Amino acid sequence: MPILEITKLHKSFGALEVLKGVSLSVDEGEVIAMIGASGSGKSTLLRCINRLETPTGGSVVFEGKEVTAQNVNRIRREVGMVFQRFNLFPHLTALQNVTLAPLKVIGTSKEQANRDGMTCLEQVQLAVKANNYPGELSGGQQQRVAIARALALRPKLLLFDEPTSALDPELVGEVLAVLRQLAQEGRTMIIATHEMGFAREVAHRVIFLDEGVICEEGRPEQVFTQPREERTRAFLARVLNR
Amino acid sequence: MKLRPLLLLLIFCLLYSPALGRAQDRLDAIRQRGELIIATDATYPPFEFREKEQLLGFDVELGNEIGRELGVKVRWLNLEWSGVLGSLESGKCDLVMAGVTITEERKKKGYLFSRPYFLSGQTIARRKGDTRIQKGTDLKGYRVSVQMQTTGQFAAERMGVPKDRLSKFDALPDGLMDVRNGKSDALVADLPALKELLRKNFPEIEMTGGLITEENVGLVAWRSSITLMSGVNHALEKIMVDGRYAAIYNKWIGETLTTRVIGGLDKARKAGSDVPEWLNNSGKTAPNDPAKNADKRPNSALSIRWDVIREALPTMGRGAKITLKITLLTLLFGIPGGLLVALGRISRFPFLRWLMVAYIEVVRGTPLLMQIYVIYFVLPALKIDFQPEAAGVLALSLNAAAYIAEIFRAGIESIDTGQMEAARSLGMDYLGAMRWVVLPQTFRRVLPPLTNEAIALLKDSSLVSVVAVAELMREGKEIATNSGSATTVYLAIAAIYLALTLPLTYLARQLEIRWQPISQPRRKSLWSRKGA
Repeated sequence: MPILEITKLHKSFGALEVLKGVSLSVDEGEVIAMIGASGSGKSTLLRCINRLETPTGGSVVFEGKEVTAQNVNRIRREVGMVFQRFNLFPHLTALQNVTLAPLKVIGTSKEQANRDGMTCLEQVQLAVKANNYPGELSGGQQQRVAIARALALRPKLLLFDEPTSALDPELVGEVLAVLRQLAQEGRTMIIATHEMGFAREVAHRVIFLDEGVICEEGRPEQVFTQPREERTRAFLARVLNR
Repeated sequence: MKLRPLLLLLIFCLLYSPALGRAQDRLDAIRQRGELIIATDATYPPFEFREKEQLLGFDVELGNEIGRELGVKVRWLNLEWSGVLGSLESGKCDLVMAGVTITEERKKKGYLFSRPYFLSGQTIARRKGDTRIQKGTDLKGYRVSVQMQTTGQFAAERMGVPKDRLSKFDALPDGLMDVRNGKSDALVADLPALKELLRKNFPEIEMTGGLITEENVGLVAWRSSITLMSGVNHALEKIMVDGRYAAIYNKWIGETLTTRVIGGLDKARKAGSDVPEWLNNSGKTAPNDPAKNADKRPNSALSIRWDVIREALPTMGRGAKITLKITLLTLLFGIPGGLLVALGRISRFPFLRWLMVAYIEVVRGTPLLMQIYVIYFVLPALKIDFQPEAAGVLALSLNAAAYIAEIFRAGIESIDTGQMEAARSLGMDYLGAMRWVVLPQTFRRVLPPLTNEAIALLKDSSLVSVVAVAELMREGKEIATNSGSATTVYLAIAAIYLALTLPLTYLARQLEIRWQPISQPRRKSLWSRKGA
């Protein structure tokens, strides 16, 4: 049974239809790279999975249960999300950012949460910055704390919304290294990204989103070297020749 | 202490500005000006009141006749009672004619009285049929309202009414409303004034017990205006014998002037201040300037009277305590209240949103003074009753909540939406995300405007004095009314307000520093010489 099953998902903002019937099935342990031009609907698709956006049609089924407004808070504990602009809580230290949800949502004890939180920070190699505030960290460090924060609830699925797009080029590497490591651990991940090399290297499957539909999907070597669709070819030509 | 020269300059200006407007005490000067300025408080029928934009009454007609005798036109200056006598010191007027009772106290404070032009006395008003109160000595067991710093208040005090049972209002009608609403049991005031007010507006209140004091009413001038007062006495004398006084008396007091009254007035003529007789009946030349015999103390409008401050300090301290208490209580209710209103204002329930917008608009769009009035004087009609202080705190809290709500709303909306999304994506519900992520950041951000609001509130709290709460401003006004040195008192009050706001500012500053996460290093001043 797939861990996530998206069926004929539609999403409109007023008259603008961003998703025009997207279906996608994700198996446990699978790493999916989602590519596509800006405005193709990558972010919207990710945000519809944990209902930060309410879909206008279709269904999202997580672990056999349809995600609805009623059960979404429970399901979000199982689905971690990392944002393009980090969205760390600036009034809390790195460790407090990581432990906030375990403390307030799950009700973990403080000692337990701190212990687990430090483990998560170690996973992103930032245990030394535990007591620093986000404002004292570099962009790459902030994004790694954000990943640790998402890991703290032991999610079964991780959503990454262009995690390196807001970073200075020299900081991209450290974040990709963390993602690579997570993929090697066998975590289920959907990554919206513009890093084609990374997608090709890490993903089990690449999906190319264009104008609100999945235009093409397949194994990375196939999509990147022998795209079946003309639109995929055109997109890759644009981004790779840049 | 760079501030010092600036501060001195400020104090200098405050002290000396009244001097610019100071009227000359010499009658000649008034004649040259062609205008005699008389201050009054037109809430006191039948002596002085306003009707259809016109100032009417016994005092007004008599005063106009005095002006005619002195050969000048009269300009009336209508003030609140608490400011009437003070306007003499500051030279804003030449005379006061406001049914003022001649007392030795007031003479000592530096006021000069004319010979009595009316014999009056205090009497008691009660709700009709409330036979518990029959005579002056009954008063001490009950709550009594008075107009502050009038001989009504002094009479009630002499009758043994304790301070905490005495409700002091700015004007008599407010005190009568208090009696009507059952919050006070009786009121003490001048008989003729009371009679007229009851006849016009308060059919459910009656007078009882006859006169409990006998008083002489006179015109008042500042102590150096001796030639003027001598002229006024002369004019009064003339008006009293030639029939004009009788006509005015009949018209406004509603009784025929009897020889008993005239005889009484004549007997009481020594009650006025001792000023020389008018020497030249032609009125062209003034007597030898007797001002040289006048009190040689420095004029109080020009200097701080430390003796007045020393005497008033305990009372002002009490007032400051109440002001602080009201402000802190209001903040205690107003800040959480404002937060709730703000949350309702941005909630996803349209009805709640609409309700909060309506609340904010109504509260912001109407005067605070009116809100206090409604809560204290009008709500009792709906059987919702509050003690003065409680009514004041309630009105201020409701008012502050509306303003604070908008501060919070702006603060909440200034927090990046990504914060809410990140919190929600971790499985927090809306309120949890607000509580743990958005609001902590909001508080830090709204601290400066919130401090502003708290300081404004501290000063606005003076408005609750209209429902007889003895807060700082009220106590100050009271002391100033009869002090002989209003300038001193008001400067002292201003200093106390400043002394109250500074710790508030300091506290807010400390919080701001404490709440500043190290992540956001203190912004360098744009003026800092070191540069960025």
